[in-house]
Amino acid sequence: MTMGSCEHLQEYKTTHGTNSFRIIHTYFIACSSADARRRKAKSCVCHTCRLHGPRLHACLNCIYFGCYGAKHIHEHAETKGHHLAVDMVHGAVYCFECGDYMYDEQLEEIARKQYTKSKKGIGLRANFSSWEPNEVEIEILRQNPKRRKVEIKSSIGLRGLINLGNTCFMNCIVQALTHTPVLRDFFLSDQHSCQVLSQDARQCLVCEMSRLFQEFYCGARTPHIPYRLLHLVWTNARHLAGYEQQDAHEFLIAALDVLHRHCKGYSDNILLSYNSQLNAGTSDSNGSGNPHHCNCIIDQIFTGGLQSDVTCQQCNNVSTTIDPIWDISLDLGPGPPAGGSSNSNSSPNSGFTNSPGTYEPTSLLECLKRFTKPEHLGSSAKIKCSTCSSYQESTKQLTMKKLPIVACFHLKRFEHSTGYHKKISTYVSFPEELDMTPFMSSSRNNTNGYNNQVIQESSRGLSCDNKYSLFAVVNHMGTIESGHYTCFIRQLKDQWFKCDDHLINKALPGDVLNSEGYLLFYHKQILEYD
Amino acid sequence: MADPQDRKLKDAQMRATINQKLVETGERERLKELLRTRLIECGWRDQLKAHCKEVVKEKGLEHITVDDLVQEITPKGRALVPDDVKKELLQRIRTFLAEQSNI
Ligand SMILES: [Zn+2]
Ligand SMILES: [Zn+2]
Ligand SMILES: [Zn+2]
Ligand SMILES: [Zn+2]
Ligand SMILES: [Zn+2]
Ligand SMILES: [Zn+2]
Repeated sequence: MTMGSCEHLQEYKTTHGTNSFRIIHTYFIACSSADARRRKAKSCVCHTCRLHGPRLHACLNCIYFGCYGAKHIHEHAETKGHHLAVDMVHGAVYCFECGDYMYDEQLEEIARKQYTKSKKGIGLRANFSSWEPNEVEIEILRQNPKRRKVEIKSSIGLRGLINLGNTCFMNCIVQALTHTPVLRDFFLSDQHSCQVLSQDARQCLVCEMSRLFQEFYCGARTPHIPYRLLHLVWTNARHLAGYEQQDAHEFLIAALDVLHRHCKGYSDNILLSYNSQLNAGTSDSNGSGNPHHCNCIIDQIFTGGLQSDVTCQQCNNVSTTIDPIWDISLDLGPGPPAGGSSNSNSSPNSGFTNSPGTYEPTSLLECLKRFTKPEHLGSSAKIKCSTCSSYQESTKQLTMKKLPIVACFHLKRFEHSTGYHKKISTYVSFPEELDMTPFMSSSRNNTNGYNNQVIQESSRGLSCDNKYSLFAVVNHMGTIESGHYTCFIRQLKDQWFKCDDHLINKALPGDVLNSEGYLLFYHKQILEYD
Repeated sequence: MADPQDRKLKDAQMRATINQKLVETGERERLKELLRTRLIECGWRDQLKAHCKEVVKEKGLEHITVDDLVQEITPKGRALVPDDVKKELLQRIRTFLAEQSNI
């Protein structure tokens, strides 16, 4: 195997040039027009056996296509003395004298350009290519010869965090964030280029996160003391300052907000246009006031699009808005049931009322069903209908227009009403694998809510694009006044660990799934590359 | 029942027509792209790459050809493609064919 060209190919290029290769590549390998594709479809057959392959090659000396599988191209090379042929799938040139493929830089450059053109022609994005280190990076790699390999038994990435006085709420979120796969990849590949002025760089929370990731993945085993992080959060989110116990959910949202603000600028990342798609969808609604018109890594990972459809009861006019969200807060208290069947009625929406029922969800799926169920807003909450030009009763339904890469579910265990604060400690089950398809806007049907969505889901059950895996769970123990936060995090594919401040212990998936979850972190199984 | 010879011929014709349609519309490239993505995602690519490296190391870079490599890894490569991926591709092809009225 050679990594370059051979004398035969070089000689061919001097006498014949690169034109034949270019023509074959343009018309039969990477077509960029419908016309070329039609021609390709008709003529790409072996001239000897009339089959489509396997591994059709085109002679570089004359007009002959032959398959490699049945050695028809070999026969041609032998009898005609034409020793160079192009693979019609990959565009590599085979030399029959040398008995192997050649990698000629000049020809590869031609091929690369053609491929890009042809992909655009059929609406495909450019090829995803794996990372190639540049000269600077090669030098860094040379200077740092020590390699770390993550193996089944390795404890890399696991590190306890010292409690600095009721800061377990922060420790949990730090554990969850440092074990968010895409976020970890972002920081470990050093993608944050700081936009904060150099003298203020110590004030940048993103930079602090970078350092934190280094602390977590450097291999050290002693607990880390996150005092700088705490200090930064205090100075940037004043409402969280002080040594009282804070709400982990509130901290998560504040941390994401500060990170998003400190990211500024635009990161050049494979996921870049993820959010521009989302934003394109919102531009016709209230998009201009949208705070998340942003491509920062936080928005790329955590921002989903929540669609709200308000249907006027008078004229059935639907007004749709899409709002960016970083998390999904789910009610646990008693309310109307989530199931559709008990509500079936001749008038589709009349079954839904606003009055609290006795139903309490006991699983994440039930919470989500309730979350995405059409809700009758009642006579006390009339909304101005643009078609009727008057205030009308209406129905509102929430669905997911765009799924985030990381879906964070917040089970509202803390109730703060006037006069009383209370914690709901009911067990709410949640799955290790979650399919969000039924809760997507695309699954929304006229009025019947979830029931029909299930049917739709099963008919396209093969799609796994909307599937998520659980990777972190934050738990709260105790009461609303005095409690303690711990969390479970997933390492590698299915190894779970319980983090209790400075203590880290192995856990079983069963421990995780049976715990009283407060924040549930799910990671998308399949990412779209842009 | 049609005789097997006849059926074989019809099968081959059908295959050729389908292939032609897939190429003409660009769907073949899209399917390839989908397959490529899925194989990267499920770890197939990394697994096969590691295997290739082993084979190359064993035989020595100077002495191995692409053909040797193809022969060595094809059985493993085929066997390692997850059923989910095959199913998805099949479903996509079915959907595509259903949309083509003139086949
Ligand atoms: Zn042939
Ligand atoms: Zn020839
Ligand atoms: Zn040669
Ligand atoms: Zn920074
Ligand atoms: Zn942002
Ligand atoms: Zn109206």
